[in-house]
Amino acid sequence: MKRTIQFMLMLVIVAGIFTSCEKDDTDFSAYTDKTSDDSSDGQDGTATSTNDTIFIVYNGTSVSVTGDANGYVNVKGADVTVNDPMSADQAADMVLVLSGSTTDGSLNVYRQKMFTIVLNGVSIHNNDGPAINNQCSKALHVVCADGTTNHLTDGTVYAIQTYDQKGTLFSEGQVYFSGEGTLYVTGNYKNAIASDDYITIDGTVAINAISTAGNGIKANDGVFINGGILNIDVTADAARGINCDSVTVITGGDITISTSGNCVYDTEEKDYSSAACIKSDGKFTMSGGTLNMISTGDGGKGINCDADIEFTGGTLVAKTTGDNNDAKPKAIKSETAIIVSGGSFSAKVEKSWACDNGTDSEDPLDHLTVKGTPTTCKIEKKSVVVKYE
Amino acid sequence: MCRVVLNVRTIRMALFLTVAVMSLPISAQSEGGLLFEVGAEKKVTKNFSLGLDGEFRSRNNFKTADRWGIGVKADYKLTNWLKADAGYKLLYTNFHEDINYKSSGAYNTWRPSYWGTKHRIYASLSACYKLPNNVKLSLRERWQYTYRPETTVTRWDFDDEKWEDKMRGMYVHHQLRSRFQVEYDKKKARFTPFAGIELYNGWGVEKIRYNVGTDIRLDKQQSLSVFYRFQNICDSEDEDPNMHYLGFGYKFKF
Repeated sequence: MKRTIQFMLMLVIVAGIFTSCEKDDTDFSAYTDKTSDDSSDGQDGTATSTNDTIFIVYNGTSVSVTGDANGYVNVKGADVTVNDPMSADQAADMVLVLSGSTTDGSLNVYRQKMFTIVLNGVSIHNNDGPAINNQCSKALHVVCADGTTNHLTDGTVYAIQTYDQKGTLFSEGQVYFSGEGTLYVTGNYKNAIASDDYITIDGTVAINAISTAGNGIKANDGVFINGGILNIDVTADAARGINCDSVTVITGGDITISTSGNCVYDTEEKDYSSAACIKSDGKFTMSGGTLNMISTGDGGKGINCDADIEFTGGTLVAKTTGDNNDAKPKAIKSETAIIVSGGSFSAKVEKSWACDNGTDSEDPLDHLTVKGTPTTCKIEKKSVVVKYE
Repeated sequence: MCRVVLNVRTIRMALFLTVAVMSLPISAQSEGGLLFEVGAEKKVTKNFSLGLDGEFRSRNNFKTADRWGIGVKADYKLTNWLKADAGYKLLYTNFHEDINYKSSGAYNTWRPSYWGTKHRIYASLSACYKLPNNVKLSLRERWQYTYRPETTVTRWDFDDEKWEDKMRGMYVHHQLRSRFQVEYDKKKARFTPFAGIELYNGWGVEKIRYNVGTDIRLDKQQSLSVFYRFQNICDSEDEDPNMHYLGFGYKFKF
């Protein structure tokens, strides 16, 4: 019995050693230490006091770089790698200003602190990888400079790399789009724009995302559209205009999405996977802006959401013209609920149901929930129009 | 002969623990933690006893101290199968961080984790029924009231880029805990294996605990316990993760 007690005591002591006083908080030191960074005089040899603005000008197969005081930029042909080795609390603010044109170039960024890319009239085509690949897991602000038009395109085959490259414009961290310019992103390999975090669109920026191989926009942790103009056109089978693994929130902006791909049989899921203008695994919420969607492929959807769809304002028009050979085309589909309480909501299909909230009911009134007192409320199987204006 | 009996007993207990563990749900978004519990109990009369308890808990895969607690309690045996108890606990808790987001998804504020106190009172009724084969079934219904006093905390405002003081208001919470437990309770046996499930009910089921383990009788006065606990969070305002606990206990009876 003494041995049992000794063993238990040993376990307790070992367990106590493992239980240190380590905090489990998120590391926000990049934000909270910012003030002291800004006030530092930088005389200790670190870059903490500087605000690095690096100008990168693409010129065919070469690049000119200015402002790289710390030697972070490495150029090979027109492939640019920015590697900032400083820790998040030591790294300076960084702005990369891109301009010029290349038919086979790229930008790869390695860094531990949020930064900004200004697209100042740039055109980057990369034959074998993303045009811009941000390997920093912190926020990336993409600013389209006022009055500029910018193009990012990729090839149909990527070279195999040890890091992720999920689209023409890919970021490990959050992406915030803003500015007053125009951006065209074309994905020929997979997605046009992809983030392993969330994507936010603000202001008056105009983004055109075209993909012939995958999704227009792919985000793991959410899509938030508060303004700007967003045009998405995807043509591949089972491709989504916006494919979000989390919540999708629209509070503003002028959005147009079209898909033309057919559904494909997913051998893993043992079911057909359909194209959709918006596929949201989390809740879809719209409170403002305009959203026009058309899906023309077999089984195509306007919105396909695994959670609730809540429409409280703005203008939403969803239309499908596809066939129902292998899957059912639906304008608005939710696994749980479709709730309309404001704005102007219109859903139309040529086949199957305009709205599907998971019910088996044959009564169109059971396929969505209308709250309040709309001025127009016309609910039929293939057409739903609800307006509060 | 003795060795054969011991082997059968060991196999029986191992089977019991294996089946119990296999019946537990698995969650990917969960953390590991440790639980230490110590208790002392003094029998005042035949039916009435007083007790003193202490506990320590960790989280973040054993790396972060989560809670210290100390409590007093009183038990009264109403009948052979029914017991009532009531008590008070002072809990010194490391409250989780809180990140607040804007509707755009951008960060709004961040309150780091901090230490603070909570007070808890409870009262319970426990009924038990022993089957002829030494298997004991017990059901405990416990009402508990938890009070967290108002306190001032600091938080980071991402817009203003500065720390600010924020009053975190007082908080009270009523819960009804329902625990069902099965144990192999043989008189004078060294081991008393047990398995149980406990539901925390607020306005709905907020938390479910699954326990499996054994009490180890050292002598007439002392006992140890070793257990595994899976805590499944069903509805929590603080977005706590599910927890896998490895627990150790020690009890002394005067």
